[in-house]
Amino acid sequence: MGDPIIKFTRRDFLKTAGIVAGMATLGEIPGELLAAVDRKNLVRFPEKTDMILLTSRPPQLETPMQYFRELITPNDALFVRWHISQVPTSVDLKEWRLKVSGHTDNVLQLSMDDLKTKYEKVTMTAVIQCSGNSRSYFEPPVAGGEWQNGAMGNVTWTGARLKDILGEAGVKPGAVDVSFNGLDIPPLPSVPDLVKSLPVDKALDADILVAYEMNGQSLLMLNGFPARLIVPGWFATYWVKALSDITVLSEPFEGFWVKTAYRIPDNPCACVAPGGKVEKSIPINRMNTRSFIIDPEEGTSVKANKAVALKGIAFSGGYGIRDVLVSIDNGKTWNETQLGKNLGKYSWIQWTYSWLPKKKGKYTLMVRATDNNGESQPFDPRWNPAGYMRNIVEKVTVNVL
Amino acid sequence: MKNLLIVAAFVMLASTSGNVQGQSGSDQGKSSVHSITMPVTEVTLKPGPGLDKVSSLCNICHSLEYITMQPALPRATWSAEVNKMVKVMGALINEEDAKIITEYLSAEYGTGK
Repeated sequence: MGDPIIKFTRRDFLKTAGIVAGMATLGEIPGELLAAVDRKNLVRFPEKTDMILLTSRPPQLETPMQYFRELITPNDALFVRWHISQVPTSVDLKEWRLKVSGHTDNVLQLSMDDLKTKYEKVTMTAVIQCSGNSRSYFEPPVAGGEWQNGAMGNVTWTGARLKDILGEAGVKPGAVDVSFNGLDIPPLPSVPDLVKSLPVDKALDADILVAYEMNGQSLLMLNGFPARLIVPGWFATYWVKALSDITVLSEPFEGFWVKTAYRIPDNPCACVAPGGKVEKSIPINRMNTRSFIIDPEEGTSVKANKAVALKGIAFSGGYGIRDVLVSIDNGKTWNETQLGKNLGKYSWIQWTYSWLPKKKGKYTLMVRATDNNGESQPFDPRWNPAGYMRNIVEKVTVNVL
Repeated sequence: MKNLLIVAAFVMLASTSGNVQGQSGSDQGKSSVHSITMPVTEVTLKPGPGLDKVSSLCNICHSLEYITMQPALPRATWSAEVNKMVKVMGALINEEDAKIITEYLSAEYGTGK
């Protein structure tokens, strides 16, 4: 069961590190909270491990970087991001149905049993990443969910193909978009419900799943129980959680969360001049190539003449990774890394490189991946007003002693 | 406690913690119902004119970490955010209160610009 949950009473507060430190000087810090100082603002939500708290209502929880040492992100450490505050907290599978309707020959009301038995069971490992992952590093800063790099994860999903479900429903000629709604509801009738859509051609992509398992277990409630959409290669905004309605549309979808929100500049870099405005936008879609150095961590000290194991991950928007290069001299020269087990084009891949530092000093390590489509990562940050799609070449500073 | 600058406070009922510990994603064998209990949270914002409006009105739709997690933002950005909440996100906040909220956010969570 992991660490025991820290018991709090109504009068106990788990605060950000700064505040706890501030209280400590005043002698007001409860002893049991001292343990929380190291953990910064880590919190434990139902079924989840200690996560970085962004917001509690609706819940937005970030994965601490240490979990990215693993090829597969544990369920209890996977990030959580909901948009509107009335999130589902109880689902009765006797009652729950996935309704498929609209511009179709048939209306389906699928139970969980239907999902599991009527359609071929498909398992796929795919990176899930929030559109705004790493937003907090944008300069100038942008308002929004202030994620560091932990709004991502690599999960083995199991479910039914959306294509098979739509096939049974029978998509009528003239269908344009398919919309997806979940059990979460807005706090007020005036607040737009979270409904997303895909163009019908994309929706019929055989790799899109209605998943009911993550890493071999039922979905966790905060990660979309009982079923969620998996759109591998695309940002998680489309991976609608607690799915309840799939609607085939004969007219373009006009909902807020596609038409107004989650849009990027309509140009190859999805960027504008820092601080600038977007003239023409399109819905965000495929992920761009990213890579991270997970070990060593920023500011680590290592010894000269002793091998240092550099490790990390790389992924792309569904093409698989061709190579990952690392630099230990701030980008002057680059070295090939060894790639780990390949779990498919939608998964991230682990890379390793053994570095033998000879001289003492401060080193800037960099990592740069290229996917099988030839898409790599920029050295300079790209900016857009919503703080989406950051994929800069990442750096880590290491001291050799 | 009053004059302490508490940015964010997180409250979790002990009983709630006990409840959620037993939950896992794979417990449906026993029952068709899967439930969790969300923790109760509390955020204390910086004191300042307009705090009452912010605490009550913004809090209707979202917890107040939505404010405390932001970087320092210039007045124009806070103004645009408040405007977005009212015009786009459906917040039921009248024009006068929206101005008070913008003033508060710019003063307490702003860049001074």
